[in-house]
Amino acid sequence: MFLVKSVIIIVEIIIAYLLQTSVFTGLRLADVVPDILMILTASLAYIFGKKSGALTGFLCGMILDCTFGSLIGLYALLYCTVGYICGYAHPVYDETDYTLPYFVIGGAEFLLNLLYYVLFYFLKGDLDIGYFMVRYLFPRVIYTVIVSILLYRLINLNNNLFTKLMKKKNTPKEAIIFKGFDVIGGRRDI
Amino acid sequence: MGREKKSFTISSKMIFTFLVIICVGLIIVSYLFSDLLAPVKTAVGNFFVPMQKGISTIGSGISDKLRLFSDKEKLIEENDRLTEEVNDLKMERQILIHQKYELDYYRELYENDSVYQNAEKVAARIISRNPNGTCDVFVIDKGEEDGIVTDMNVTAGGALVGIITDVGKNWAKVRTIIADDSSVSGRFQPTSDTCIVKGNLKRMDDGYIDVEMINLNAEVYDNYEVLTSYISDKFLPGILIGYVTNIRKDPSELNKRAYLTPAVDFEHLEAVLIVKTLREELEGFE
Repeated sequence: MFLVKSVIIIVEIIIAYLLQTSVFTGLRLADVVPDILMILTASLAYIFGKKSGALTGFLCGMILDCTFGSLIGLYALLYCTVGYICGYAHPVYDETDYTLPYFVIGGAEFLLNLLYYVLFYFLKGDLDIGYFMVRYLFPRVIYTVIVSILLYRLINLNNNLFTKLMKKKNTPKEAIIFKGFDVIGGRRDI
Repeated sequence: MGREKKSFTISSKMIFTFLVIICVGLIIVSYLFSDLLAPVKTAVGNFFVPMQKGISTIGSGISDKLRLFSDKEKLIEENDRLTEEVNDLKMERQILIHQKYELDYYRELYENDSVYQNAEKVAARIISRNPNGTCDVFVIDKGEEDGIVTDMNVTAGGALVGIITDVGKNWAKVRTIIADDSSVSGRFQPTSDTCIVKGNLKRMDDGYIDVEMINLNAEVYDNYEVLTSYISDKFLPGILIGYVTNIRKDPSELNKRAYLTPAVDFEHLEAVLIVKTLREELEGFE
């Protein structure tokens, strides 16, 4: 169960990274790229909790560090922290809710960029936070949230399917015969 | 049973603390010994590059199709602008023909200029850009296998794009001259006054980067060419960087500074040429 879940998450991370660096760099709006890796980190943190959030964020950040960062570990630290914080939203997770997660993702992207500003600009002596906000932060948050409307649904759908499959596997055959469709279909969502 | 469960549960706080410690440790290690983690970077690069290559091939095909839909007004406007430009260029050409005789004389003088006209070059395609949307760093699809090493100069259309900073098996990372941490030693074309060209992503939004450390007595005017100088130990001399504008005194009153329009269009760059001659080798020939 744990192993299959990890493999699925790792595949999701790889797809997200490829989307971000190769597909969405061609679909730039206002010169910013939506942060697909953050969408994934925040969504998984919201769905599964703090542990998954921190680990996913760590892996996402690590890939970015190894391919684009100058210091290894800096992006990993940022994504890991934000993923962990997003995990605090897990108690209110509801698989049919498609409103709250966008606020979580938007907030996560905002926080990430704020930390990014502090580490990459503020410490370098660039105090012009207004410029950074208008040029990078807000466009990035808005674009990310827009893209997440589609992507969060996919991630959540994927997760629901996976949970259902696992439940079906673990349920004894007699139970299925007795209870009929309800058990095969898992929880009734509609 | 309960006790057993307690001792085997790892709390999320512990995982988070553990990850943060790893991150901080890695930051320190990679800062102090940057070579130590290079194999890891190379391995990750080698894993992703084939996939990115495939995607960017498909992507460029689609974007070519999309370009057909660009609106008519834009084309008319562009046509007007281009006609104007053609007229300008015709006049410029006349002047250039005159200057060519002068140039031949200079070429004899600077024999080095012709060195990398004959130098071996490799063409490469850009397969991924910095994920934060800026154009300061990008990855190309040629690497060690094609004889690329760090510090090779990257050009496009005869002008300087940047320098190779990391090389993997079949990929290489290029830091462009507009990156905030890039600075290139340059000289002005007719007068040979020296200057430093510094990258500035913020100013690049308006299409400029910075030129600093121009001598107060230097006679430089708008639209002078800036080439790489003979002083640099990494950049080959005599490659066009861009055109200077807005020359003014530095606040320190000790030297002048200016803006520079890069000769390369970084936003729409798709392929680059890598000059395989290194600056050190060039010194060896002399």
